[in-house]
Amino acid sequence: MAEGGDADWELSKENIQPLRRGRAISALNQALSQQQDGPSSAINQQKQSFESELRIYEGDDPLDVWDRYIKWTEQTFPQGGKESNLAMLLERAVTRFTEEQKYHNDPRYVDLWIKFAENCPEPLDTYRYMQAKAIGVTQTSFYIAWSEEYEKQGNFRQADMIYQEGLKNCAEPQDKLLHFHKALQARVSRQVMTSMVMDDSDDEAKHAERVSLADLKHRGKKKAIAPVNRVGAAVKSNSQGLQSQGALASNNAANSRFVVFDENKIHSDEPAEPKVESWMAPPPARAKENEQKPEKWCDVKMPQRSRFGHTLTSLPPSKPTFQPFVEESDQPPTMTPCKINPAVNTVLSARKPCKEETPLKRLQEHHQQAEAGKVQEQSMYCKELLLSGATEFCFEELRAERYRQKIAQDSGTRGQMDQASAGTAN
Amino acid sequence: MTSTLKGITLKGSAELVAEFFSFGINSILYQRGIYPPETFTRVTQYDMSLQLTTDVKLKNYLTNVVSQLKEWLFECTVQKLVLVITCLETNEVLERWQFDIECDKSAKESSAPREKSIKTIQDEIRSVIRQITATVTFLPLLESACSFDLLVYTDKDLVVPDRWEESGPQIISQSEEVRLRSFTTSIHKVNSMVAYKKTDSV
Repeated sequence: MAEGGDADWELSKENIQPLRRGRAISALNQALSQQQDGPSSAINQQKQSFESELRIYEGDDPLDVWDRYIKWTEQTFPQGGKESNLAMLLERAVTRFTEEQKYHNDPRYVDLWIKFAENCPEPLDTYRYMQAKAIGVTQTSFYIAWSEEYEKQGNFRQADMIYQEGLKNCAEPQDKLLHFHKALQARVSRQVMTSMVMDDSDDEAKHAERVSLADLKHRGKKKAIAPVNRVGAAVKSNSQGLQSQGALASNNAANSRFVVFDENKIHSDEPAEPKVESWMAPPPARAKENEQKPEKWCDVKMPQRSRFGHTLTSLPPSKPTFQPFVEESDQPPTMTPCKINPAVNTVLSARKPCKEETPLKRLQEHHQQAEAGKVQEQSMYCKELLLSGATEFCFEELRAERYRQKIAQDSGTRGQMDQASAGTAN
Repeated sequence: MTSTLKGITLKGSAELVAEFFSFGINSILYQRGIYPPETFTRVTQYDMSLQLTTDVKLKNYLTNVVSQLKEWLFECTVQKLVLVITCLETNEVLERWQFDIECDKSAKESSAPREKSIKTIQDEIRSVIRQITATVTFLPLLESACSFDLLVYTDKDLVVPDRWEESGPQIISQSEEVRLRSFTTSIHKVNSMVAYKKTDSV
């Protein structure tokens, strides 16, 4: 480290998640060096102390512990991952304070929500939920995160609208909001400008663009041969082929059989106000009907109708038409020794995908339960305390923690008394 | 510059170091998004592809600085080059890239070339620039529009040229500092370092 030469951070730069606020280099180097030796006891100890602090904290700002814990986790586990528990911590933290009105516009709490949203598969849903619950509606960071998400998805109109919404709600700090809004507008206008310039420059190229599904003039007298060059004169003039992009826009209505849905045009007819849906009934996390599992495409055959009318579903996989070359010296692969009795069938298999459950949905369910007030179970022990952190505690740990606190307090007061008596003696 | 040459002279060294600064500054400006990425073009240098600005004003400014720097390097009067990134609105210094230059002044007297091949030097330079690129892993995101400034520390007795003015050090209060690799031409040694605002957590 003295020379800064072969610093750890450079060797594992691909495994470090960049953070918005940057990383403390000392924490980073420490984390990386410890990573090689496996999880160290120091980290575990600190984690444990955070966990117990979460439970025994009695001050009036419980969010502070969560905030520190989460920031510590971010810095200590630079590659994220499961052992960091970050996703779960964020979820627990945001769930814990959804009912606490005083935190709803606390910048720390809003930050936690934004981090939580970025971990969700559908951040936009989470932002809408936040808006409905009035979390962060006077915080500039909330609108920035929301708008950036829209911008990432290419929806500049909505991104702009979010900033206007923020301005309407007088989000603080306002100059930051205005500044980001202006930056967005600048980006969008620059993009429009460059795309216009591009259009102008390839005007020439557009004429020579290939048209798909077009009839081609054939060449040759005996046999009709489709021309190699399939643009320009080769295309029959009355063709109704699909043209791409710009050409389509000019004459699509007259020439094309397809009505092309233009998202942008539809949008402009709609009222500008984004609709705020009520979140009383949790929406389904995804449209489940249309889900299709990702699978291999290369060997899949379309079910083909044979001449006799019934469908041939699967053709047997064809054998390769060539003889694979096998080196003479090559031994047939020996079987890997198998320890498991083949008669026993308890082999590990991939876990079946369980019911889809997004963090946001869990959150909504939790909220609904709380709102309905009909919690069906009633636990006769302090379940909240045992389960409130990222890891589970047992009673003994809690008891020990209380005991230690008491001891500390006792010695503290005794010390004070000692001092006091010393004072009087003087 | 012929790479077949085995030794290195003061003049060659000054040129190499100045060239490094030209590419290094360009890559910092690109990496940190000080200028929009569209205004950069890709070139191949030191066996890797680097980004060079196409912005005319910036180009002129940099050529100006680098040619001045080359002179000072040749005279061995330069001590430091600092690239400061400041927030446009608040004028707060957010990042400070510092390159300490150690000159071997004895090279001024004896003009005998030193034994170090250009290839080795370029290898060292490459690893410095690689490290500059890799710093995005821990540097904070620059959220607002930023501007940059170049400061050059020279020997005290130097006359300030017309186009230059004296400036403060522009230190970041409460900064985190990371030393990067260094390289040497055996006449000039360049140590790099980046300082950035400390995160308020932990």
